[in-house]
Amino acid sequence: MGEGTFPIPHETGAGIAAAGGKGTYLEVIHSWIVTVDHKKLGIMYIVYALLFLVVAGVEALLMRIQLAAPNLTFLSPQTFNRMFTMHGTTMVFLVGMMILFGLGNYLIPLMIGARDMAFPRLNAFSFWMSALAGVFLYFSFIGGNGLAGTGTAPDVGWFAYAPLTERAFSPGHTIDYWTVSLLANGIGSIGTSINILATVFCMRCKGMTLLRMPLLAWLYATMSFLTLVTISPLTAAQAMLMIDRYLGGHFFDTQAGGSAILWAHFFWIFGHPEVYVLVLPVFGMVSEIIPVFSRKAIFGYPAMVAASVCIAFISLGVWAHHMFTIGMTSVGNAFFTLSTMLVSVPTGIKIFNWLATLWGGKIRFQSPMLFAIGFLFQFLIAGLTGIMLSVSAWDWQLHNSYFVVAHFHYVLVGGIVFMLFSALYYWYPKMTGRMMSEGLAKWHFWLMLSGFHMTFDLMHIPGLLGMPRWIYTYEANRGWGTLNMLVSIGGFIQGVAVLIFVYNMVRSYFKGAIAGPDPWDAWTLEWSTASPPPAYNFAVDPEVGSRRPLWDIKHPEDMDSAFE
Amino acid sequence: MSTATLQPVETEQEWRLPSRGVIAMTSLIIAESAIFTIFVVAYLYYIGRDVSGPTPKQVLELPIFNTVCLLSSSLFIVLAERAIEHGKMVAFRIWWLVTMALGIIFLYGTGAEWYKLIVKDHLTISTNLFGTTFYSLVGLHASHVIVGLLMMLVVAVFSLLGKVKPQHAERVKVLALYWHFVDAVWVVVFTVVYVVGR
Amino acid sequence: MSEIPDSISPQTPESHPAALHAGDTVHLPAPTAFPFLLALGLTLVFASLVTSAWLGALGGAIAIVAVVGWFRNVLPHEAHEDVPVPMEFISYIPTLKKVSHIQVDETHRSQFPLETFPISSGIIGGIAGGIAMVIPAEIYGVLRFHSIWYVVNLLGGAGVGGWINPTIDEMSHFRLGAFVTANIIQGATTLLVGILYGAMLPVWPKRPILLGGIIAPVLWTGLLHSIIGLVNPFLQQRIDWWSFAASQVVFGVVAGYVVTRRGKLRRLAQAPLAARLGVETPGLMHEHGHDAGESSKSNGERSGSSQDKGDSPE
Repeated sequence: MGEGTFPIPHETGAGIAAAGGKGTYLEVIHSWIVTVDHKKLGIMYIVYALLFLVVAGVEALLMRIQLAAPNLTFLSPQTFNRMFTMHGTTMVFLVGMMILFGLGNYLIPLMIGARDMAFPRLNAFSFWMSALAGVFLYFSFIGGNGLAGTGTAPDVGWFAYAPLTERAFSPGHTIDYWTVSLLANGIGSIGTSINILATVFCMRCKGMTLLRMPLLAWLYATMSFLTLVTISPLTAAQAMLMIDRYLGGHFFDTQAGGSAILWAHFFWIFGHPEVYVLVLPVFGMVSEIIPVFSRKAIFGYPAMVAASVCIAFISLGVWAHHMFTIGMTSVGNAFFTLSTMLVSVPTGIKIFNWLATLWGGKIRFQSPMLFAIGFLFQFLIAGLTGIMLSVSAWDWQLHNSYFVVAHFHYVLVGGIVFMLFSALYYWYPKMTGRMMSEGLAKWHFWLMLSGFHMTFDLMHIPGLLGMPRWIYTYEANRGWGTLNMLVSIGGFIQGVAVLIFVYNMVRSYFKGAIAGPDPWDAWTLEWSTASPPPAYNFAVDPEVGSRRPLWDIKHPEDMDSAFE
Repeated sequence: MSTATLQPVETEQEWRLPSRGVIAMTSLIIAESAIFTIFVVAYLYYIGRDVSGPTPKQVLELPIFNTVCLLSSSLFIVLAERAIEHGKMVAFRIWWLVTMALGIIFLYGTGAEWYKLIVKDHLTISTNLFGTTFYSLVGLHASHVIVGLLMMLVVAVFSLLGKVKPQHAERVKVLALYWHFVDAVWVVVFTVVYVVGR
Repeated sequence: MSEIPDSISPQTPESHPAALHAGDTVHLPAPTAFPFLLALGLTLVFASLVTSAWLGALGGAIAIVAVVGWFRNVLPHEAHEDVPVPMEFISYIPTLKKVSHIQVDETHRSQFPLETFPISSGIIGGIAGGIAMVIPAEIYGVLRFHSIWYVVNLLGGAGVGGWINPTIDEMSHFRLGAFVTANIIQGATTLLVGILYGAMLPVWPKRPILLGGIIAPVLWTGLLHSIIGLVNPFLQQRIDWWSFAASQVVFGVVAGYVVTRRGKLRRLAQAPLAARLGVETPGLMHEHGHDAGESSKSNGERSGSSQDKGDSPE
């Protein structure tokens, strides 16, 4: 086993002296505001998203307190509406999108051997646009009546069905806050997507052909393409809504001939692929982490790439499965049932490839791997309930019940959030230079796992018993009380787990063990530079000859590039 | 050596990557196309669903001259691109200004049409569904023309100051790509609004 | 054997002409506040829609300043700063406990299996089977109802909007809607099953006839049997499961046979993309086999393990 040598930038005495002290707080803040460095922006994205993860998590817990037992009055009906609207909107746009863009920003240039993103300034602009839009959205809580009455926060659900959003039914500025901030947030998302595409295609280091790119880069490129074609319809629909509200237009005004169903179509043309926007990068992370912790190269790389692109395209043709209960022709129902089931083919290919990667590997159960395995199981179950719901007849029975809520939280929490934790454990050493505490991570994992299953496994049952979404309370004689209490308790267990994670992050930043450039013995380029990487990423422009460049360096007697 | 050999041949060849300007503009065009698609779908969906007048048949006229102006501007911008690639700066300036002039004529035409619709036919964005969809779709396109013209104006000013050099050909090309997109969208808008919808 | 690492060792810094040394600098884009200011300005403009117009005016002013500033930052020359590179070469030492290398023959080297079928075999097999399985279905239709259109209408019935409980007579006549729908359903499903089949081939490469003749029909029938009542209840009522099963077996046998005939592809990861996709490029394939034989360290083993089938799928 050879131990290769590669140039790792290392702070010499001169460098440290030149950097001097850290400067005043003002200088530090200034340096973060003016930065165009993809790594700093990536970290800002992640921290911002984690802050909002806690905020939206608190909103969820407030709702769970309200629903824990029948006839509670913990939240007023209005506040409850604002809570589920803000919880959904925040989690999708300010947590999911932001943290994924953050990880992408941080990792893509490092993984493809570039010094920065293709458009560093656009990158900074996109971040600030999305971030300020989020702050603006939350300003709605203190606008209007102020905090006590929870201000003018939006209260129509994250899908904001027309015509409830029209001026006649939603006076005041609640909807305007929602539309305007999502429009602004969308500008940032589109900017970052363009940037990621340009980076992936135009900034690759020498030898990094498209079929040698890490799968994470491939999946981010797919996700960015999907973002371009899904966020734009949302932007267009928001613009129409604003025309209706500000200029007296009639797009969704049913009395003037406008159509409320058109809004539903437009929203879900965005809304469903959005799920894939969130999940595709996560697939990329799985495809990076599972091989490293199984000590085997990813199985079926070309099939993985093809499946990803396939998922992106199929996902554009399935939106109306959110609208079975709105009423469609039988041809429409059959089409969307079949197209939705079709998604399971490429997704199945992916799951089989991950399993094949695990098969026969020397698996290391460290924290990133634990969460990745949790992801595999939970994502599979989420997919299975998804296939159940794709059947229009089944959906007619269960649409807008807690079964659906449980299903998509299985995807979003059991799949995406678990994998995000995995990714943060995996790349935290690269970002900070220190390891996270493995003991706390285990606590985090097991608490999160049990809390998750307690909440979302049980949540299917009230749905099957007929409990609808969006209700702020229910009668005692329905028999949903015990289940809801358990679901709420599970929610708090997850809350504790997330707090442990946050504590672990903060503590490890100061006290964690020094990580070194390559703590996991991994194979992609980001591990070939110092942790945290210097501003210029690589001292020498890397040159690669295979999909696992670091493997080639570490094992000169057995290089991948000899077999490509 | 063919690509089938075991030796990695890439290292011996020049490492070429696509231009990031072109990729970024293509991506932007994909996103913009999605926005236009939604507006076009809304327009098509609402044709003939008005509960009150005026209807497109009563008030719209075919903007043939406008259309010819805008579409031909695409041709002139190609000439401008060619000129700057070959370093003919004078020709570049002339073709560039011609393109802009045609764009401005188009914009003026749209303005005149809107003036007539608002003042004479009393059709505003809030009058009926036709007004809402018409002004938003045509307005969206017109706003893209304005953005294109503003960016072209910047190039024109710097070009007249002699700051634009042949090495900027690629940036000009990216801008021209945007202009071609704006023209192509007009073909769709024209078909939908003035041919199908009338 | 030693020539491979020699010919491709681009990684050592010594051989890298552009290697930097301590004291060198790297050009990086300079930090700038204008992107932030532009975002702030635009957000204020948006915020003015729900607050006051003054905020919008302020935002607009900031945005204009930011646009101009940004422009001057990029043109005519991109602002950059030089970051010094204090660098030393350090040797790579994994900090974690090492795991042992999988001990296999060097030729195998994490590229299991050594030979497999190209994915295109699965697709082509799926298409061929999809066409072949029409025959028993049609035989059933002609024998039982004396019409070649019965089966077509049965499959594509969902495509005819106005059909509610059609009679046998109606079913025996040509309907365009049903014909088109039937073709779409048949084409899409057989292709999909073929792709699924192709994706499974590398996992289970040894017995395509078993896979094709039994496993694939079971998958295909299972898939249809479970969902058919939901997507096409009409078909479920009328289906004759015996002729249906016969069609499945024909599908499977034909697909399996086609795959076998198309032959195996050696060492998927190593073959060029064209070969992996099963594109017929005879010159390429030949050269590949030739070169692989020459430059591989285990010429004998490889040809020994798969003498009967060449690299190319021809």
